[in-house]
Amino acid sequence: MIYRETGTFITSYLEDRKLFPIPFDKWAMAVFMLFMVFVVPFIASDYWLAAHLIPILAYGTAALGLNLLTGMTGQLSLGTAGFMCFGAFFTFNIMLRSPEWMNLPLAMILAGSVTGVIGIIFGLPSIRIKGFYLLVSTLAAQYFALWFFRSYPYFLNYATATVTLPDHHFDLFGIGETFNVDMASFEAKYLLSLGIVTALALFAKNLMRSATGRNFMAVRDMDIAASVIGIPVIRTKMLAFFVSCFYCGVGGALFCYAYLQVLGIRTFEMNRSFEILFMAIIGGLGSIAGSFYGTVLVYEFPILFSWAGDYIFGGAFDTAVVDNVAKIMYGILIIALLIREPGGLAALWATAKQKLRTWPFPH
Amino acid sequence: MSTGNPILQIDNITLAFGGVTALNGISFDVAEGEICAVIGPNGAGKSSMLNVINGVYVPQEGRVVFKGQDCTKMRPRQIAQLGMARTFQNIGLFQGMTVLENILTGRCMKIRSTWLEQGLNIGRARREEVENRRAVEEVIEFLHLQGIRKTPVGKLPYGLQKRVELARALVAEPIMLLQDEPMTGMNLEEKKDMSCYALEINREYGTTIVLIEHDMSVVMDISDHVVVLDYGAKIGDGTPDEVKNNQDVIDAYLGVTH
Repeated sequence: MIYRETGTFITSYLEDRKLFPIPFDKWAMAVFMLFMVFVVPFIASDYWLAAHLIPILAYGTAALGLNLLTGMTGQLSLGTAGFMCFGAFFTFNIMLRSPEWMNLPLAMILAGSVTGVIGIIFGLPSIRIKGFYLLVSTLAAQYFALWFFRSYPYFLNYATATVTLPDHHFDLFGIGETFNVDMASFEAKYLLSLGIVTALALFAKNLMRSATGRNFMAVRDMDIAASVIGIPVIRTKMLAFFVSCFYCGVGGALFCYAYLQVLGIRTFEMNRSFEILFMAIIGGLGSIAGSFYGTVLVYEFPILFSWAGDYIFGGAFDTAVVDNVAKIMYGILIIALLIREPGGLAALWATAKQKLRTWPFPH
Repeated sequence: MSTGNPILQIDNITLAFGGVTALNGISFDVAEGEICAVIGPNGAGKSSMLNVINGVYVPQEGRVVFKGQDCTKMRPRQIAQLGMARTFQNIGLFQGMTVLENILTGRCMKIRSTWLEQGLNIGRARREEVENRRAVEEVIEFLHLQGIRKTPVGKLPYGLQKRVELARALVAEPIMLLQDEPMTGMNLEEKKDMSCYALEINREYGTTIVLIEHDMSVVMDISDHVVVLDYGAKIGDGTPDEVKNNQDVIDAYLGVTH
């Protein structure tokens, strides 16, 4: 099949609003999802699931949350890890203190909603201040989260430093016992994360192609004009903080439950916020898919470079030297990418798709 | 198309920024269904006047009454809900969005579905998208923007951006349209187009138009009513012919020997 729009005739406004206007894209996505659901859990080793796929899904959710706020609505934030922290701790506490019927996805939704409300509180300064000043004020969320959970050990069930998350939290509606499958296995955790991330990404995509998403972008591009045409600017900003922090909260819960399998305050230090900000920027601010491209790049490239370094120079040089050179190479790559394409990987991908549409002709 | 009933009453407006008085005791009425031009030399306070009318600035003194309601202290959004739309002097389009998305934002006040419905893409949200798209397509046809629907607005030439901005204002189905220098920086052809659009909007939809313009031939041709400002004060108010022969207006534009 050739990658073309030709032959696809749009006859209604609903059809023009489709997620995948080009049939090839739709099929490619379907195949990709089927592969991820039905093939990957069987062929991937525990190492690949636990150390690559699951963390990418968890980081991706948080990066997507930040992207909704910073990329779509133009409100800078450095509180990401703080909001993840709230999400993770609340999920744990809801699971710990609820009756039997409570399950992990529901707990994540509840915890995410509470995190969203906290996000609104820390988003209040955005009514008056913009840009870098807002960035500084969102730092308050980061430090508040860490201080709060350090001060009230109740939320960590009075454990010192970390809690190992119990396996029975993963059981969904008794499926595990009934069918005798291990719901806390890496395969199950991977599928749970994949399901949640797919649902959240789809929700974000729908939101962005409807009125709310356009309001977000209008506030980002020019808030005076937005208020003059009747967009409720303050409400839109608050909604952006709520939705964004909901995603970050769920991301934090996935990060602890599916990836680390322990809950601790130190997971959510400041540098985690920066890491996620880089993922969003490198992937492409204002792009939903870009959040995941950025996550893959930021998470995998340092690993890849250090493997490559070891493979090529392993015997000849000291490991630490090779490792540092790999880090430098990675840094140069990021700088080169952002100079070449400030829109990030998503913009690169869009250009490639545009080229494919007209291939083999240049225009 | 004027009915003679005032739809907008500007009553003794005074606006100052620190020590600078931008508007000094300005009063005038705009009749329902007319095209009213606000003219004056640079720095006369024309844009400030529009900003006061649609709530971007709150004047220190005076009242703005729109459709019989005092809206002096209302926010821009509340005034928009009363049926006032506006275009900007330096183009107030959302640069990161396509033409279609920009025009669709103009329908934001017609949206009834919640963000949850929109995120899940169910029922009301889906229906509204189609309804709003239909309304937008009518305006796209009216302003001849069919060919550039999916183009990011940042890539369009200036004249077209102005037209897209007009489309965004029109899809809100306004009772009154404020246009801040809709024809500045355009060539003769584009000016003619914009003038025709203004007249057509006025006749077809009965929209009252208040516009700021520097091109006197355009102003004299299309407006029913002209208000002249100079240094924040009103120096002329009447039909184009009356204003043309007003000695104060001639002095302000041509200068006087002292």
